Amino acid sequence: MSYQTFDFNSSITKKQIVALTGLVLIFFVVFHLAGNLFIYGGPAAFNGYVEKLDDLGVLKTIAEWGLFFVFGIHILTTAFLVLENIQARGISRYAVDNSKGPRSLATRLMPYSGSYLFLYVIWHLIDFSWADQQGPRSIIHGVSYGLYGVVVNAFKDPLHSMLYIIAMCFLGLHLAHGTQSFLQTFGFNDNRFTPCIKKFSRYFAVAMAAGYSSIPLYVLYVLKV
Amino acid sequence: MANKINLILKVWRQKNQESQGRFETYKALDIDTDMSFLEMLDVVNESLTKSGVDPIAFDHDCREGICGTCGAVINGQAHGPLKGTTLCQLHMRHFKDGQTLVIEPFRAKTFPIIKDLCVDRSAFDRIIQAGGFISVKTGQAPDAHAVPVPKDKVDWAMDAAACIGCGACVAACPNASAMLFVAAKASHLNVLPQGVPEKKSRTLNMVKQMDQEGFGNCSNEYECEAACPKEISVAHIARLNKDHRQAS
Ligand code: FES
Repeated sequence: MSYQTFDFNSSITKKQIVALTGLVLIFFVVFHLAGNLFIYGGPAAFNGYVEKLDDLGVLKTIAEWGLFFVFGIHILTTAFLVLENIQARGISRYAVDNSKGPRSLATRLMPYSGSYLFLYVIWHLIDFSWADQQGPRSIIHGVSYGLYGVVVNAFKDPLHSMLYIIAMCFLGLHLAHGTQSFLQTFGFNDNRFTPCIKKFSRYFAVAMAAGYSSIPLYVLYVLKV
Repeated sequence: MANKINLILKVWRQKNQESQGRFETYKALDIDTDMSFLEMLDVVNESLTKSGVDPIAFDHDCREGICGTCGAVINGQAHGPLKGTTLCQLHMRHFKDGQTLVIEPFRAKTFPIIKDLCVDRSAFDRIIQAGGFISVKTGQAPDAHAVPVPKDKVDWAMDAAACIGCGACVAACPNASAMLFVAAKASHLNVLPQGVPEKKSRTLNMVKQMDQEGFGNCSNEYECEAACPKEISVAHIARLNKDHRQAS
């Protein structure tokens, strides 16, 4: 009897890679939100936090490249799986689209929410991460406010805010399925814990989407610079 | 007196694997509501035969929900609208007079249509074969309790063993994944002392065969569990994920 010891091509292994990279990204999402909330402390607090991150130097660069790598693997592996799934379904579709099970909007939209987030992240990097922090976009009433200024100026524009909020809604949907899915894929499913995890997954998703979306809303409706 | 209903059936007709299929509309008149779905098809087939039309081909054997031979998709739902029921055990009282029923075969690339509602599920057999044997002593029948098995393991294995291999999980999965089937078949042996020695090879080989056949990848939609006539839990999939992780 023969069997191989490690098979990257195995469907389960690929799924576990998606799950594991997804978990790293979940931690990133939490950490990133925690940092973003410094905006409520005003320009000094927010820019102070940005400086602290910059002070990490090489560590920050390593973390960034690590994230980039994880993000890439997550997307590429998923793309691969989705292509295989489309092939497996075949060309013939059911005439009636009628689900018997719990298939939710969040699960249905996974590839779409993921794709939007992918495009969004690229734009977000250009928009904020690589923005000129002392440039014209940082100036509010004639004074440069660093990255704080860039963020506030960006969110002053309702369209800009809207695109951001849509992305965060997609993030919420993506997390609602992804967070609980992680445990299933890694082999934990229990009569008592799984229902709790599913609930937690939903609350967590709403909390993240609301947390991130609160920032443009704050700039638009509270700060009103 | 039993109730009678009339139905309009839109049935997938396909001559053979190569030909293009299409829907045909038939009337099912005076259907006794105590009939099973397959008996209703029998009645329709009788009238089709009398009028010189090729009867609708569909798979069936035990007609008591234990063999896993029957199966079709009724209005988009594998084995029809009732949970925990095979098509042969689905009774016509669950349908309304005048209702239109769209009847399709299980659709997946791995389940080629042989004719009308009959599909080729031999991919499942090859997965079972890939699972291999279990190590048991031959000779005298062993005492029933010679090998002690904890109650929770017995329950788990029995729940998994309820799988009749009908393929509704594949039919219902948006990705045409066979994970529930494979998980049930692996779970059934992986937890029992008799199945433990080959657990690793069984898990890896069955999953490998499943992938080679071209089934899709599970994305935790849980449509399979909802369509399963034996209501096998997706917890078995989680277990397969874990066994595979530990084996590879
Ligand atoms: S015919 Fe045997 S399960 Fe339906």
